[in-house]
Parts: sequence; C-alpha cells; structure tokens
Amino acid sequence: MNLYAGKILIVNLTDKSISTEPLRKEWLKEYWGCWGLALRYYWDLVSPEVDPLLPENAIVIMTGPFCGTLVPLTSRFCLVSKSPQTGTVFETNTGGAFGPELKFAGYDGIIIKGRADSPTYLKIEDDQVSLENGEALSGKGIFETENYLKEAIGSSEAKTLAIGPAGENLIVYACVGTETYRQMGRGGAGALFGSKKLKGIVCRGTRGVRVADMPAFIERINHYKETNLLTEDNLWAKTDGTSFLMDDISNMGSHPTRNFTYGVNENIQAINLDAIKAAKLADRACVSCPMACGKFTSINGAEMEGPEYETLCLAGSNCEINDLEQVSRFNRLCDDLGLDTISCGNVVGLAMDLTEKGRRVFGLRFGEPKDYLKIVSEIATLSTQRGKDLAMGSKKLAEKYEAQDLTTEIKGLEFPAYEPRGNYGMGLSYATSERGACHMRAFTMYAEDPFDIEALAHLVVNGQNFSTIKWSMCFCDFWGTMKPEIMADLLTAGLGEEVKPEQLEDAGERIWNLTRLFNLKAGFGADDDNLPQKIMNQPLKKGPNAGKVFKKEDFEHAKAIYYKLRDWDERGVPSQKKLAELGLDSL
Amino acid sequence: MENRLYVIPELCTGCNRCAYVCSAVKEGEFRPSKSRIHISNFSFRGYSVPSICFQCSKPDCLEACPEEAIYKDENGAVLVDRKKCNGCGECVTACPYGMIEQDDEKLAFKCDYCGGDPACVKECEPGALVYPKAEKKVLKLRGVQMKQRIESGSPEEKRHQLGLNLLAKAREDDIR
Repeated sequence: MNLYAGKILIVNLTDKSISTEPLRKEWLKEYWGCWGLALRYYWDLVSPEVDPLLPENAIVIMTGPFCGTLVPLTSRFCLVSKSPQTGTVFETNTGGAFGPELKFAGYDGIIIKGRADSPTYLKIEDDQVSLENGEALSGKGIFETENYLKEAIGSSEAKTLAIGPAGENLIVYACVGTETYRQMGRGGAGALFGSKKLKGIVCRGTRGVRVADMPAFIERINHYKETNLLTEDNLWAKTDGTSFLMDDISNMGSHPTRNFTYGVNENIQAINLDAIKAAKLADRACVSCPMACGKFTSINGAEMEGPEYETLCLAGSNCEINDLEQVSRFNRLCDDLGLDTISCGNVVGLAMDLTEKGRRVFGLRFGEPKDYLKIVSEIATLSTQRGKDLAMGSKKLAEKYEAQDLTTEIKGLEFPAYEPRGNYGMGLSYATSERGACHMRAFTMYAEDPFDIEALAHLVVNGQNFSTIKWSMCFCDFWGTMKPEIMADLLTAGLGEEVKPEQLEDAGERIWNLTRLFNLKAGFGADDDNLPQKIMNQPLKKGPNAGKVFKKEDFEHAKAIYYKLRDWDERGVPSQKKLAELGLDSL
Repeated sequence: MENRLYVIPELCTGCNRCAYVCSAVKEGEFRPSKSRIHISNFSFRGYSVPSICFQCSKPDCLEACPEEAIYKDENGAVLVDRKKCNGCGECVTACPYGMIEQDDEKLAFKCDYCGGDPACVKECEPGALVYPKAEKKVLKLRGVQMKQRIESGSPEEKRHQLGLNLLAKAREDDIR
C-alpha cells in the first residue's frame, strides 16, 4: 500500500492474544489517519458509557499517512480512548520517533484491549510481537524504563513508549513518555496504560514506507518545504522554540500568573526566551523535522530538553517560580515520574493559592521551590496525604476543599497557558473541546480582536475543523502555514490518486462531530460546555487586560453562535441534516 | 585533496532526514534501516551523532574482501562491485565504524557519495553534514571520529559505541 503500512496490530492483555488485521481501507477516505482513524476504530470497540479504567475500555494508537516519510513535521502519532480525567473521548499525540518506527515495523496502529494480571510490556520487532514480563519495571521512572526496554530488545535504535509511577498509580493526569522528554501529556493516557498494567511498548521496525512515485513525491515535499515551511511565519520554531511565547503572551496580558490571578508576569525575564537561550546546549528535533524546536538546556546541572512554553508558564509564572533551574527540575521530575506538566502546574498553583489564603495548608507557597519540587514525587507515588490530594486533579481537589472559585479546569482538564479573560476565543475553544480545556483545537491568540465574539466563534469552528484534519494527518502544529491544499497535493503525489482539499475539510468536520456524538452518549451536554466561575466572575489583575472577565451572558452568547455555526441545537446535539451530510447518520 | 563528507555532531538535531532521503534515493522507499547514513540518538543528553562512511584511505573493508569486490573510484569513494560480492560478510566484520552492511540478499552495500552529489547533505537543515571541503576545525573532528575504532559487535552496536564515545568527549560533565 502507498503511504500506509496496511495493517493494524491487535493486542488483548487479558488473554494475551496477539493478532493483526488489514487496515480498514473503506474508512481511509473519510478518516485518513491518526486522530480520525483512531476515533473510527475506537467507536466500534467500546460503548461510550465504558469506565475508562476498566478492562472493557480500549486504547487505540495510530500513525498517519505521512508518518515515516520525508514530509516534514509528520512524525507525530496519537492515542484515542476515553479519558480517565474528563470522562470524554480524547485524543493525545506526541512527536519523537516511535510513530515512524511502528510503521517501519509494518503497522499503522495498535489496538490494546483488556488488562494484564501483572506488569507487562509489549515488544515489537517487525513480525515478531510478544507480551513480556515487566515486573522488574514496577515503580520505575520513564527514563530508566525506556533504557531497560531498549536493552531488552537488544537494539539501541529501538523506540519506546513508557509510563512512570504516576501512570501505574492511575493518576488522572499521568502521561505516556517517549524519547525521554516527549509526552502524550493531556487527558491521562498514562493512567490508561497503568489500568491495563502495560508499563511500556518497545518497537524496532526495519521495513519501509512506499509511495506511488518517489521522485515526484520528493519534488512536492521540497517545493512546500522551501516555499512554505521554511518561511518567516514558521522560522520561530527553528530559531527560538516555544519559549518566545513567554514575552509575547505576557505582553498581550494573557499569561496565567499566580494561579490565574494576573495576566502578566512582571519577573518573566528569569524564565523567558533569553533565559532559555542563555542555558541552551543544542537544538533538538523530532524525526523528519528540519525545524528542531526543542532547545536542550543545562543550568546548574539540571539538564533537559525544554522547558517548553506551557511548562514555563504553568509551573513557572503560575506558581511564581521565576527560576529556570527550579522549573527545569520540576519539568524533569514530571517527565520521569510521568505527570503532565500543564495539569501538574495548575494543581500545584491551586494548592499554593489555598495555602496562601489560609483555606487549607499544603505547605506550598508561591515562589518557594523546596516543597514545589518535593510535591511532584509525592503526587506520582501517592506517598503523602497532600500528594494524594493533589493527585486527584484540580476539579476533585476543589470539590473536596470547596475551592471551585479558585480553579481553572473544564470537564476536569486543567487550563493551558492562555487566559480566556484576555481572549474570549480561547474560552470558547476550551469549553467546546472534546477533551476539556485544550489549546490544540482552535488557537485564537493572534486574532485581530480578542473580544469580538461573533468573529471568534467563526475562528473557533474553523480552527477546530482544521486542527482535526491536521491531527488526522499527524502534522505538527508548528507548521503554522499548513493548508488543506498542501495536504491534498502531498497525498495525491504519495497515494498516486487524486485527493481534493474539500475531502479533507469535510473529514475535519466529520471527525469533530463524531467526538461530539461519543460525548453525548457518554452523558455530556450543553451544560458541560462551560467556563469556571473564576473566568466569569473574578476580574483578571495586572496588565492590559486588568479588570476583564468573560461574563456568563457573553459566554452563553458565544456558545449559541458556535452551536448555530455547527448546526447543533441548543442542547449541543448535531442536527440530523448535518449528520447525514457528514455520513454519520448511520452510526 | 579528495572530496569528502564531514560530520559536525554538535549541530545534528537527530531529525534523521539524511537517513530518510538516503533510503528513498537508494532503495526507492523510506527505510532508514537500509540507509547508508545512520543517526545515533542520545535523547537523554540531547545529543546525536551521524555515522558516515569515512571512505578511509586504507579501507578495512577493502582489505578484508576475499573477492576484491571493493575498490576506490577516482573521487576517493570506496565502492562495492556487487557482481563480484560473494556475500561472505568479511567487510562487515572488518569495518570499525559499522558502515558497510549486507542487504536482504546478503550482498554488501555502503555509501557511495551518490556519485559526487550526496542527497543527505542537501537534506541537512542544521548543517551537520559538510561536503566536499571543510574548514580546519571540521577536518580535526574527522580525525577524532576516525580514532574511535570499534573492533567488535554488529554494525548497529559499533555505531552506537562510536556515538557514546563522542558524546563522552563532548559532554564531560555529569548531570545531577
């Protein structure tokens, strides 16, 4: 098959069976790859009411058509399942090199079912696939686990996925790590692995990915690389990496600081782009990416790739830890123990706020690094009462201590590093995302008017539809000038049959609506597409957006426009007409 | 002086585009395991080392070949005459850098500089691959790299060990 491996690996951990089946070709032109295709498989595998952490739930890992080719920024691959953090269906993806390796082994994706009796890892060497005893890895961090798995398969070129103690302990914001410093971070993928007693996956693939006409395919790739990718709009990734957003977003007044109290960090210079550059040792790339946005830093012996913007903000500014070394150490601990830094930064910020206000004493204070570093392992290993409390995530922590006025989460997923009171589009985007507060679905931070509700609602709908097809092609977000026309042209050259941009645009909307159908059946409705009290009632402080709130009536207005644009009724249910148009009426 | 390919590991980002394009050009598919260039990736330390054929002036592979199937062309590239190759694998054992291997039919294959226009160099965005001439400090790097002769192990193991040796030299400090 051109561009696809043509096979799915199916692993049942309960009865230890391993099988393969041919890729469902009839789904490709509607769902394409990664998110879309994984979701379509997942839809057939489980009931939406399934408990995410029970053996009945399944995990679908999927690559995309360009994964393992020279099309730049396409090494990403995704995981789709039901989130233990939100109870919604969710997609989480990462770069690195595991996705291409899986494809080189001959599989477009893996379906994981059931639950093992004891810690297990999955070993894939081309056709040789086995489940192995992972007892020796119990309680080990991701770094050590990845090394162990490479040694176990006997290849330094093998690629790995692993969870740390946080995943084993079913912490709802546990991540799956790969290539040391890269993660499927959001939504609790690590807890899903943990619930199945799957400690990791190691893969070595030695086969190839074929295309219809190699010289023609490479010619198209080079054309778009030179004329579109390596241009001014995208080169920040190469020269700066994500930390350039520190000053950018703070100057806009939408940079979450001190548990989402301020919109600017007045001490940002200690943890901004300049600080990263001063500590930088090397540029690092995912496989197939010429940009290399990863900045490997070393500061007083704290060595790591990153920290990235989200971590610098949420574990830095939001906890008022204006010290790059300490943020790096926090980041590294999260990466090793297997926690999502976005959620973890939020939860710690919330605990600091509660402590400062005297409402509950966690021994955590803004700007104080000692307990800030200690708490990470307490959360991951559930070794103290405060660790257990914070491990519940913001939503449940707030329920326990009546702190709903201080939290920033939607459907249980903590906020990313963009303040909705300073940009209403981000608020609408967070509220309507399939997996709770997520910035990777529609990103309106650079909208002309951050408070123009009508225009922003359009941007959010279009942004979500486009992100959905982009994530279904496994394109990285940082090819910011990517368009359906480019994807369609590259698919045409690779597959050897014509693909039209409209097919991809339709697919984006189809996939988004399918996530909606799943979540409706899982019990979610319009009332859940909501903002936290804090965003609607408490004015933001400091900076250009001081005094701003996203008032409930404004938000409801935005949501009504959004539903109308989507052809969803006031309960958030897609119309029969829309479903028929998208070919979803029979599902 | 002969045209040569040089490597600056400090600039390598680990993107593997060199290996992807190499396999696309040589094998007609994206198959980095059959590339003539390999990247040893040490993600933990943020360091990557491209393994290349140095086209040695006294090639171990050439000397080991019982069939005289390996020869040097006028540009200094060490080439395999696949019609003469008997698939014995002596060259693979002999190369201390792990840069000559056997294909699915057991025949030896290796880097040939793409006849003087290496595809990998054009693909290397960070400039870690240099061809055909280099400045003095890059020439020096070549000397250091060639000193890392790994006498045993599979080609993959030799490349990995070469990478580890260079990593140890580049980042002497321990991390805490």
